[in-house]
Amino acid sequence: MRRLALFLLLVSPVPGQRFLPDDPLEREPPPRSVGALLARKFSDYYDLFSNQFGERGKEQPKSGPPIRAQAVNTLGEPMEGGWYQKRHYYNRMSIDELTRGPGHRTPPSTDGKWTVVAVKAEGVTPGFTVVDSAKRRYFVKFDPMSNPEMATAADSITARFFYALGYYVPDNYIVFFQADRLQLGDGVQLADATGKKRSVTAEDLALILKKVPLTKGGLYRATASLAVEGKPIGPPRYFGTRTDDPNDIVPHEHRRDLRGLDIFCAWLDHDDSRAINNLDTIVTLDGVPRVRHYLLDFGSTLGSGTEVPNSPRSGAYYFSWKNSAKQLFTLGLLPPYWAFAHFPDYPAIGRFEWKVFDPEKWVPEYPNVAFLNRLPDDEFWAAKQVMAFTDEEIRAIVGVGQYTDQKGADWLIECLRERRNKIGRIYFAKVLPFDRFRVQGGSLVWDDLAKEHAMGGVTDIKVSWSRFDNKANAKTPIPGSTTATVPEEGEYVAADLSSASRPKQTITVYVRRKGGSTRVVGLDRTW
Amino acid sequence: MFFLKRLVWSLAFLSGLSAQEMTRTAEIEKERDLKAANLKPDEVSPLERKLRDFKDQKYAEKFAAGYHGFRAKIGNMVTGGGFAIGPEYYREGLVDGKLTFRASAQISTRGYHKIETDVRLPSLAGGKLFVDLFGSHRNYGSLQYYGTGPNTRKEFRADYRLEDTSFDGLVGVQPMKYLKLGGSTGYLWTNVGHGTDSRFASAETVFSPAVAPGIDRQTNYWRNGVFAQLDYRDDPKGPKQGGNYVMQYSWFHDDKLGIYSFRRLDIDLQQYIGILNRTRVFALRAKTTLTDTDRNEEIPFYLQPVVGGSDDLRGFRPFRFSDRNSMILNAEYRWEVFSGLDGTLFADAGKVFPRRGFLNFRDLETSLGFGLRFNARNATVARIDVGFSREGFQVWFKFNDVFLTRRFGTSVGQPVY
Repeated sequence: MRRLALFLLLVSPVPGQRFLPDDPLEREPPPRSVGALLARKFSDYYDLFSNQFGERGKEQPKSGPPIRAQAVNTLGEPMEGGWYQKRHYYNRMSIDELTRGPGHRTPPSTDGKWTVVAVKAEGVTPGFTVVDSAKRRYFVKFDPMSNPEMATAADSITARFFYALGYYVPDNYIVFFQADRLQLGDGVQLADATGKKRSVTAEDLALILKKVPLTKGGLYRATASLAVEGKPIGPPRYFGTRTDDPNDIVPHEHRRDLRGLDIFCAWLDHDDSRAINNLDTIVTLDGVPRVRHYLLDFGSTLGSGTEVPNSPRSGAYYFSWKNSAKQLFTLGLLPPYWAFAHFPDYPAIGRFEWKVFDPEKWVPEYPNVAFLNRLPDDEFWAAKQVMAFTDEEIRAIVGVGQYTDQKGADWLIECLRERRNKIGRIYFAKVLPFDRFRVQGGSLVWDDLAKEHAMGGVTDIKVSWSRFDNKANAKTPIPGSTTATVPEEGEYVAADLSSASRPKQTITVYVRRKGGSTRVVGLDRTW
Repeated sequence: MFFLKRLVWSLAFLSGLSAQEMTRTAEIEKERDLKAANLKPDEVSPLERKLRDFKDQKYAEKFAAGYHGFRAKIGNMVTGGGFAIGPEYYREGLVDGKLTFRASAQISTRGYHKIETDVRLPSLAGGKLFVDLFGSHRNYGSLQYYGTGPNTRKEFRADYRLEDTSFDGLVGVQPMKYLKLGGSTGYLWTNVGHGTDSRFASAETVFSPAVAPGIDRQTNYWRNGVFAQLDYRDDPKGPKQGGNYVMQYSWFHDDKLGIYSFRRLDIDLQQYIGILNRTRVFALRAKTTLTDTDRNEEIPFYLQPVVGGSDDLRGFRPFRFSDRNSMILNAEYRWEVFSGLDGTLFADAGKVFPRRGFLNFRDLETSLGFGLRFNARNATVARIDVGFSREGFQVWFKFNDVFLTRRFGTSVGQPVY
C-alpha cells in the first residue's frame, strides 16, 4: 500500500490536477491479459464467520472523511468493464430487451433429447445438468413440491432485473418438458448424503422427478440456466482484490457497483447475496483473456427461499450482537421491524411484501462490507437505476415468471412497485436528486429525478459559478454569475448547486471548454 | 532494498510519462503495471481450505452415518444417568427404501446400560401405513423414588435399580394428512433391585410393599394399546403454530403374578400460538395419565406415572412425585433472540393423585423459570432451563425439545423412556 501511494504520487503529472484530458472515461481501458488464473472455491462457513466476526476489508472510518466510491469516472459513474455495463438507466431498453435479459433466445433445443450429464439429488429440490442437441449446457433447477413456480420464477425474473441494472448474469429460461425429454448420459454419478458415489440409473432419474411438482398439463417446470461464458475460476469476494488479476486494482468494498448492489438486493429481497453466489470466469474478447464477474443463483429472491418460502426475517442478519442483546434482555418485548410484516398466502410467491420493507434497515443474511460501506452518493446511483423501471416494465419482467396465479403475480408487481418507490423517496432525499448534467445552448441543464418521478422536486436551487484551476484543483468565484448560463471563463468552470431547503446537500458540476466543445466532465456531491 | 527497487522503477515510469501528457487511461494502466509486477496466486487461507474440505468431504455426514452403518451413539440416557456412549448400527433405505433398521448398546458414566433395536417401515401403501418393531433392554442402577403420593418429602429420597426388557410391535394408518391411528402389542419383563447410589437409602429398605407396590415382587406384562394423533403443527421439529393432540389407551396384563394388571390412558394436548411472524410463540401443553385397576389389583410403583424433572415440573427433581394418576400443565412464552437462539419464560403446574376424581386444578405443585433454546434448522438441538419451586431450583441442560412427543404404542407406559 505504501508503495502504491508513493507510485501514485510520482506518476501524477502535476500535483493536485483534477481532470485529465480523457476524463470522464466511459469504459475501463482495455484490460491486460490475465493468462491462467487459479480456480478457487470458498467455504460458505468461512465466508459466514469471517464476514460476521472477522476481518473483511477496509470499512468506512468511524470519524473523519468517508472513503468515497472508486472504480468510477469523474462523473461518479462506474466505468464499463468486467463488472458492470451501463444499461437501462443510461440507454433505455425496450420491453423486449428487458424481458430477454442477457439471452439471445437460446433456450434448450427441443429438437432432441436433453442428455443428463450431472445430477444433484440432495436437498428438497433436485437438479440436473443437461446438454441439449445443440451441445449447449444448462443447469436445470426445479421448484419445491410445496411451492410450484416460486423458485423458477424468481430465478428468471431477478436475472432480468439484474441484467437491466448493469450486471453480468446467466441466461435463465423457464422450460416445460415431459420426462421422456431426458436421457441419461454415460458415466453420470450420484453422491449420497455422505458423498459416496455410484452410477445413476434411469430409476434414479424417475425417483428424483417424483420430488418435483407437475403442472396441470402434466409437465415438469424448471429453470434452465445456460452455462455462463468463459472458464469458471470461482467467486470474487466482496472485499479486497484478486491477487492474480492485474486488472483488479480497486478493493471490492469500495466499488460503487458493489456498494450500490445493496440497494438492488434490498429491492429484490436478495438476502442470499453472498460471495459464493457470484462467479468469476475468464472470457476472451479481442484476443485478450480477462475476468468477468457474474451474479448467480437468484432462486432465493422475491419471497422465495428456493426450497421453502423465504424466512420472514429476510432483511435481517442471522446474528448481531446489538440486536441479540436487545432481544434477550427485553424478553422479546421490542420485536424487530420485520416481525410485523404480513405476507399474503401466495405459494408461487413465497414471502414478499412492501409495507414493512425499509431499504435503510434491510441487510443480507450476514454482514457484507461493500454494502456496509455505501454512502449516500452510492445509494443515489443505485436508486436512480431502480426508479428507472416503469410500472409497465416491472409488469413485463414479472411476466417472464409465467405465473399461473395472476393474483400472486399482481401482488409481486405491487411489491416491486412500492419497494421501488420507497427506495426513490428515501435516497433521492439524501442528496440533491439531480442527474444527467449537460450543456445545452450554452446553459447547464439537468434532470431533477425526484420531480421526474413525482416525488417532490427541489425548486429553490441556487447556482454560483467559479473559475476552476484544474492544475491547482482550486475554485475562484465569479461574482454575479448565478444563472444556468455557462460563463466563458477559461478552460474549466465549476457550478455550485445548492438549496436552502437542503442546506447540507450540494453538487459541484465541472464544465470543460476544449476544441470548440463544452461538456460536463465532473461531479462532486455532498450531503 | 525491495522498496528502493520499486522507487527506481516508479521513477522510470515518471520519466517516460514526462514526454507525453498524462491521461486517466495511462494512470489506470500504471496501476495495473504495478499490480502486474506483484501478482501472486489467489488462494484461500489454510483455515478456509480446511473448512471447505470438511464440508465437501462430508465429514460430519460420514460421522453421522458411520462406517458401513456403524457409528457412535451419544447421550439419550435417562435423566441422572450421566453421559452415555456406545456403538450403533443404523441403516435406512433398505428393502427398496422402505425399511430403517437401528440397533444400539450404550453404557453411561454411572454404569447404566441400554440396548435397543428398532425396525421401522415408516411409509408403506403410499404413505398411508406404518409399522414399527421395537425392543429394548435397560438396566438403570439408581432411579430416584420418594414414595407414592402427592405429599412425599424430598428428604426421603431413595433409589432403586430398574431392569426391564420389552418387545413391542406397532401398526398405524394415516388416513388423512394430520391424523394417525394405530394399535400396538408387546411383552414387558421387569425387575427392580437394590439402588446403587450410596448417598441414598435403597427403596426397599425405606418403603414397604404397601407404600410401593411391587417393590418386593416384580412381574411381566402382555400389553396392548391403541392410539390416535391429530397433528397439525407447522413443523414438528420446532413447532411455532398449530396443535398436536395425542391419546393412547393401553391394557397391561400381569402375566406372571396376576395382581398387577392395570389400564392406562395417556392424553397429551399441545397448542402453539405464534405471533409476529412466529417470532413469539406461546406454547401450551396439558398432559394427563390416568390409570385404572380391577379390585384388589395394584400398579407397581415403577410403572406409576411420575411428575418432576426436565420435561414437566422443572423446579423439582426428576421423578419427584409418583402415584396412580398425574396431570401436567405447561405454558411457555418463547421469543427469538437471533436465528439460532430462542429465549423462554415458563410456568409449570402439576400433581399426582391417587384417584381419577382428583383430576382438577386444586393442590397443584408449581414451578416458574426461564431458559434458552439453541436451534438448528428450526429444531431444538440443546436447551438450558432453570426452574424454581418451593423445593429450590433445578438447572437442566438437555438435548431434546421440552414437549417432545414420546414414541407411540405400549412402550410409552414405561416410566422412564
